[in-house]
Amino acid sequence: MLLSCHNLTLKYPHNSRPVLDNLSFKITKPGLHALFGHSGAGKTSLARLITGELPDSDKFSSGEIKIGNMKTLLYSYNTERLPGWSAISHHLDKITPASRKTQKDDLITLFGLETCMDQPFNRLSLGQKNRINLVRYLVQDFDLLVMDESLANVDERTREKIILNIKTLYPDRFLLYISHNLLEVAKFCDQIIVLRAVTRQPQCIVVRGQDHRGRQSAAQPPERTMLELMNAA
Amino acid sequence: MLLRRIYQFLIIYCTGIALLFLLKYGLQLSDYVIPSPSELWQTGCTEFVRYCKDVADTLSVAVIGQIISVIFAFIVGIVGRKATWVGSIVKVAAYNVQAYPIVALAPIIFILLGDGFLARLLIAAMICYFPILLSVIGVMSEPVVDIEHFYRCTGRLRWQLEVKIRAFENLNKLTTVIAGSATLAMAGTIVAEFIAANAGIGYSIRIALYQSDLARILSALFVIGITLSVYQGLLEWAGALIKKGWET
Repeated sequence: MLLSCHNLTLKYPHNSRPVLDNLSFKITKPGLHALFGHSGAGKTSLARLITGELPDSDKFSSGEIKIGNMKTLLYSYNTERLPGWSAISHHLDKITPASRKTQKDDLITLFGLETCMDQPFNRLSLGQKNRINLVRYLVQDFDLLVMDESLANVDERTREKIILNIKTLYPDRFLLYISHNLLEVAKFCDQIIVLRAVTRQPQCIVVRGQDHRGRQSAAQPPERTMLELMNAA
Repeated sequence: MLLRRIYQFLIIYCTGIALLFLLKYGLQLSDYVIPSPSELWQTGCTEFVRYCKDVADTLSVAVIGQIISVIFAFIVGIVGRKATWVGSIVKVAAYNVQAYPIVALAPIIFILLGDGFLARLLIAAMICYFPILLSVIGVMSEPVVDIEHFYRCTGRLRWQLEVKIRAFENLNKLTTVIAGSATLAMAGTIVAEFIAANAGIGYSIRIALYQSDLARILSALFVIGITLSVYQGLLEWAGALIKKGWET
């Protein structure tokens, strides 16, 4: 499996400047990878372009995106909502494939969401809403999942626990994590695609992350990767 | 909700009556032009029951007309929500037709259907149909992206779910429009009765108008106002109940 972009350029109609300019990178193996960069650097646009979420994108973008034999590419983001007419458990039951019922229950426990199941979505905290949203994407059949700020408003400890569990449960899938948390990205992600201002070339630099997997010690301290990321951005 | 509607109407009605009496006594107009308070009270007491029956007749036509309008508006609104050529035609047609004063077509309807129940019903339905349709098209063609995104990208967004999400998210707007359209349906029916019908409160007002009997007209307006306030209050209350029931 492979995810690569070659000479990717994206310029929205009516915008004078491109969002992505001649962008190239390659992710060679599945795992948790990151899109990192300043606000407005084009992370969400790139993620939506990769997952086919930009309608008629061929009219205002050029370059090549290779997704290998991946079929299902999903994009999730942190302001998504569930319908308000019934409890969370009812909605999750309806969208979970029969073969993944156990996995769904496990994720609910791992994400600390057992007490939310009987509540309607609008009564949850922002962190709970984001975790519920992530659960429903994780129980789908996917090859690549973009998590755009999907763990925003979740406390550090829970976030770390969730990331480690996702890495353990989905070692054979591509997970593209968009976050502004420098330490988290440096510590847990494998390849970090750093998007820079469109005026700088190359627009993206790939930094090797710590790819931390729980109790095992990292090869080098995360501070070094963090410095690399800061310099690259 | 219900009481508030009635209070609001009573305040407006009493203000209007007070202004009329101010005009009467200020300009020293005779009782033939503006009746005295005692005459107004007497007429009101005498005609109250008959006018209540007439208003009930008119209201029943208006309610049926409104129900037909709401059903048709939802059918057309759901069909017209898509950005397809059918949807575009429906939207353009709705926006253009609603710009035409439907009440101007009333004489044609009376010529074709006579002055019975059906003509009144059709005029009432036509008058309240387009405002409801425009609101329903507006609600149904506006995606609720934050909710629909998941269902769309996982291939689960069937049209029934799409309509359900959009209706649920805009329930307050839809309830307000439907409650507001009750006034239009009632106005449509009364206008139809003014023109050519042989029953209803509009017909009674027409007779009073020919007799220049302002006391009767004011009594009829009182009964119309109270009835419409109660009906609109009930619609809003039903809307609130539906929303509450749907959310739990």
